[in-house]
Amino acid sequence: MPRIENDIKLDFKDVLLRPKRSTLKSRSEVDLTRSFSFRNSKGSYHGIPIIAANMDTVGTFEMATALCQFSLFTAIHKHYAVDEWKEFAAQHPECVQNVAVSTGTGEGDFEKLSAIIAAVPQIQYICVDVANGYSEHFVHFVKDVRQKFPSHTIMAGNVVTGEMVEELILAGADIIKVGIGPGSVCTTRKKTGVGYPQLSAVIECADAAHGLGGHIISDGGCTCPGDVSKAFGAGADFVMLGGMLAGHSESGGETIEKNGKKYKLFYGMSSDTAMKKHAGGVAEYRASEGKTVEVPFKGPVEVTVRDVLGGVRSTCTYVGAAKLKELSRRTTFIRVTQQLNTVFGNDS
Amino acid sequence: MPRVDADLKLDFKDVLFRPKRSSLKSRSEVDLQRTFTFRNSKQTYNGIPIIAANMDTTGTFEMAQVMSKHTLFTAIHKHYSLEEWKTFAASHPECLEHVAASSGSGKADLEKLCSILEAIPLIKYICLDVANGYSEYFVEFVKTVRQKFPNHTIMAGNVVTGEMVEELILSGADIIKVGIGPGSVCTTRIKTGVGYPQLSAVIECADSAHGLKGHIISDGGCSCPGDVAKAFGAGADFVMLGGMFAGHDQCAGDVIEKDGKKYKLFYGMSSDTAMKKYVGGVAEYRASEGRTVQVPYKGDVEGTIRDILGGLRSTCTYVGAAKLKELSRRTTFIRVTQQSSQMFT
Repeated sequence: MPRIENDIKLDFKDVLLRPKRSTLKSRSEVDLTRSFSFRNSKGSYHGIPIIAANMDTVGTFEMATALCQFSLFTAIHKHYAVDEWKEFAAQHPECVQNVAVSTGTGEGDFEKLSAIIAAVPQIQYICVDVANGYSEHFVHFVKDVRQKFPSHTIMAGNVVTGEMVEELILAGADIIKVGIGPGSVCTTRKKTGVGYPQLSAVIECADAAHGLGGHIISDGGCTCPGDVSKAFGAGADFVMLGGMLAGHSESGGETIEKNGKKYKLFYGMSSDTAMKKHAGGVAEYRASEGKTVEVPFKGPVEVTVRDVLGGVRSTCTYVGAAKLKELSRRTTFIRVTQQLNTVFGNDS
Repeated sequence: MPRVDADLKLDFKDVLFRPKRSSLKSRSEVDLQRTFTFRNSKQTYNGIPIIAANMDTTGTFEMAQVMSKHTLFTAIHKHYSLEEWKTFAASHPECLEHVAASSGSGKADLEKLCSILEAIPLIKYICLDVANGYSEYFVEFVKTVRQKFPNHTIMAGNVVTGEMVEELILSGADIIKVGIGPGSVCTTRIKTGVGYPQLSAVIECADSAHGLKGHIISDGGCSCPGDVAKAFGAGADFVMLGGMFAGHDQCAGDVIEKDGKKYKLFYGMSSDTAMKKYVGGVAEYRASEGRTVQVPYKGDVEGTIRDILGGLRSTCTYVGAAKLKELSRRTTFIRVTQQSSQMFT
């Protein structure tokens, strides 16, 4: 018989952070950088732990070049050729420490990953990304990657529950990507009915990972700087953003003009658009699990980055966290029914 | 590990008043005046405890002139010069008992506040207003102001939880401003994720304040007269309004014409618009936490005031409160999922 879990699982929209007493005088005093040592690779990280998603519209070399100025991170998408990687590493050697090379678990993926790392040995991070991180095949793949690259830091996912976070960490991953279905262009929840509200997923997975000395990325579901703060508050070590970084000059794809307004295409990596582009179409036996939207063109990503970082700094002062590291310890979430007064509409 | 408070917190839109038996014959019998004696200043207040917000669009001298006629209150925004204050005080001395002078917690703000209060001794109220009332620095600032002005009534905020209301009252404030993020042009919740649903904040903070004989202002989140009534019903001693008073003749800023329709600009005091106007732009390390909207031009604020007071009197008759003072004692809120019929909207 099917079992129903009665605990309500929460999304970012269901909570707000309760303010707490603070000795900080200004947002400018807040330190957003974090340092981590990873469990399996023994590598260390220093930076502001916000990651541009490994989608072909967002995880571009242009994005990495812009984000590394702010010591943010970019998971480069898996569709660049080895030569393009070489060129990027030669032109922007300072950015290579803030990027990951991505891979799926398909045929040829492992060879391409090995070729890129052989060509650009400065790369320290590997992002092994599949839609469903619960498969046995995926666990084996993570073990193989760990064996071949013992000192690279491995990000792996996506999963949403503690026991699978533990399994992947024990299989050799350092940082687990958490999130199934929360993304703005993801339709997995609609097409399959499977998913987990992101805030609860992060709280539970962070707890499981930290118990083993591992780390997690909250991947998907952030629609505004406040959501990024909530993800960190819930215990995420890193927060990965797709939609919030889409539509910028640094994003992949052409700018479209319609009625004098500019747009850029943004789509899920299992959407029709992506599958046509990279795999020649949606295979017979599967449904597309992503959608394609036109997002208004927003100019250089720098402006958005400042807005996000300014928001997170402000959150830290409201709860009295002098460092991002302290945010989750100082977090109490309260449950709410609405985020914002919508008398004058929803635009910010 | 982060803690999740399992209690659901409520906004105005989540509740309605349950009607109760009443012996009142007409709304005209309802008395909206209240009298308060303040804990620290020992001063006495008499009036209808609705306040125009200290935003540069609504907390104007022009607004104060109309508000004070109805014994409503105005928190004058902090951007008027000493000379402008002197001119106002000289030409409208009758308004002074219904206004507060506002200040942030910066050094220049305090100096200006001191010079205004020295020049115009008839001002009895000080409104100390910062976005985040939880900083230790703000508590010290409230203490400093209390020491300098032992007989002025001090409003201070904003906060949303009982323990901080108590702390500010014990530090010398008389009336605590309650509300983080509920305002119509506030984006703090979007930009930071921080906030507290306004109805629950008012219920909890009123309880804390009244226990110490302090008072509170419900600041923000009212979008209609019914919300004003809910704020009073929840225990607010005063209700502060920004968006509901925006767009009138008495508001600062020019009337804009677009496609034959008239608008006025309204914006949060941490929005791009306000920061450009007063501090030359948004600083590098921060995000703007407010937005700018064009509200339809509504003419004289007199009409809006009558609408709000009429709504409030009607609420009182529905729950059988002959005086505004009795409203919160006679309030039972029921939880709802919809406020009004959407058929014609």
